[in-house]
Amino acid sequence: MLMPIRLKGVMQAPVSPMKDDFSFDGEGFAKMVDFHVRHGAPAIAWPHHKAESLNLTIAERKLGAEIAVTTVAKRVPVSIFVGTLSEEDSLDLACHAQKIGADAILTISPYCRRPAQEEIFDSIVRIATTVELPVLTYNSPWRNGEGVEFTGELTRRLIDRLPNYIGMKDASFHSQKYLEISRVALNMRPGFAIIMGVEHLLASYPLGACGSFSSSGAIAPNLCNKFFAALEAHDWETARECQFKISELWRLFKEQYPSSLKGAMIMMGRPVGPTRSPLPTASKERLEFLCKRLEELDILQTEPHGW
Amino acid sequence: MKPFEPGLVHAPVTPFKRDQSVDYATYAKIIEFHLRNGAEALALPMPEGEDMSLRDGELRELLEFAVKQVRGRVPVLAHVSDAGTSIAVERAVHAEKTGAAAVLSHPPYFWHPRPAMVVEHLARIGTAVKLPFYVCSPPVESAGTELTSDMVMQLIERVPNLAGVVDASLDFVFMEEVISGGRRLRPGFQLLAGRDYLVSAAALGGNGAIVPLAGIAPTLLQRVYDLCRQQKFMEARGMQEDVAHLHHLVREAGASGLKDGLAGIKCAMAMMGRECGVPRPPVRPLGEVERGRFEEAAQALAFLKAEPRGW
Repeated sequence: MLMPIRLKGVMQAPVSPMKDDFSFDGEGFAKMVDFHVRHGAPAIAWPHHKAESLNLTIAERKLGAEIAVTTVAKRVPVSIFVGTLSEEDSLDLACHAQKIGADAILTISPYCRRPAQEEIFDSIVRIATTVELPVLTYNSPWRNGEGVEFTGELTRRLIDRLPNYIGMKDASFHSQKYLEISRVALNMRPGFAIIMGVEHLLASYPLGACGSFSSSGAIAPNLCNKFFAALEAHDWETARECQFKISELWRLFKEQYPSSLKGAMIMMGRPVGPTRSPLPTASKERLEFLCKRLEELDILQTEPHGW
Repeated sequence: MKPFEPGLVHAPVTPFKRDQSVDYATYAKIIEFHLRNGAEALALPMPEGEDMSLRDGELRELLEFAVKQVRGRVPVLAHVSDAGTSIAVERAVHAEKTGAAAVLSHPPYFWHPRPAMVVEHLARIGTAVKLPFYVCSPPVESAGTELTSDMVMQLIERVPNLAGVVDASLDFVFMEEVISGGRRLRPGFQLLAGRDYLVSAAALGGNGAIVPLAGIAPTLLQRVYDLCRQQKFMEARGMQEDVAHLHHLVREAGASGLKDGLAGIKCAMAMMGRECGVPRPPVRPLGEVERGRFEEAAQALAFLKAEPRGW
């Protein structure tokens, strides 16, 4: 029997700390995960793109998943992202996540292929019928028509087919695309979790989004929690203030994501090492610029320092 | 003086006769229908009014006709987009002389100039008039040039009468950046929601909306708009989902690669007892089978029963 899980709020997706030789820093990662839980993360989700997922080996992803589950120790739900270039790897990671006691998996049809709707359907069904875990999918349409897009119709068919299909990470950030999914999903399966890929929540929370996977929580967990509390209280004025500040942070971090984010973590007293190639590691000049902006945004002064 | 804010703006379709001429008798009926059903302003001819299918002389004549027909009851916003800068500039000047209350323009049609030239194009149109000027962000699937938030910030610096953005991108990130960044540079800078998706834009602090589906479902859009104005965003969800459903049917009908919905809107208008003919070529009207399928799906929408039938 499936354990029901409730996903809501600004959920934290930890980065992957690296040692100076670019090897995966398991101890650092455990500290990172624990930091998030102690600072109010309602769930932990790993390894998203921000965690350099595609630059980790499958063995590292399994190791990290084990560390995440052990460190969280059931305090909050843990979802494991199993998207890879090869569907066989995704399937392997999904089975591993179930074996080690993760609470859910997040999956997508393999990237870089412009998969047809039928191919996405088959991919998701294959993975979601192999495991018993609750399954989230990741809607990632790109502007030029590439990417992996879940239309309303595809979402409807998947809900119809899969009892363990519980939610969608939505990275469309687009009123029409969002509503194509939400109006179908929330009416077919009340409680279906629509989780924004970045905390663009003010536009989506009134339309039924239950939370987001955080982009900025490693820097500004207090801001994330304040933002979600304002949304739940329908305090739109405060929510706007938080949303615009998070939007500013996102502008700082989105280029070469997560290089700048990892760089900015040094200023917060939580160094997590370099970013793996082909992504750059933030330069000294970039760090100075980030430090200045974080001060202007009042982040340095209001957010936790150190672990 | 209170700054101009257009509120709930209806975007009428443009009716054509069988000989492809503009059907002014029907256009008058359309305008009166919108005014009786909640329009606080009219924007014309928007993409849903087939602006691109109208010739320059027709665009001017249409605006003159609309201004006369409206007789000052509500503001008329003139949409002047074109490919060439000087053509759009002259059209904007004409709109001002004709009595439009504001001028709207997209980035240049067809061309994909560098960002600085897009800004130049829009700045020349805006500074050619004294009226409030709004720039329109195109839909993400459109064939034209994108309007970025950086371009909007540059335009605020250059165009004193730039009042705001009409957003058809529906992009959360763009809306966040335009509202927060725009108001830092120009307090009161407006974001009007485009294309009938009101809730997200209003929650972010947007000001009003241009609603092309108002010819089909003015009551529903009015209710969503009223809830948004009262900051009752949670309560607006169900009705916004209904609007999205209608939008989906309209877009999916027809042969347009861009899913422009032009054939669907006119088919729905006829179904509601407001016959407006079919779109101008090259847009294909719905065939008999498609029309049957569309009407069947639309008739299943319970909320349409509360909408006015006929003129």
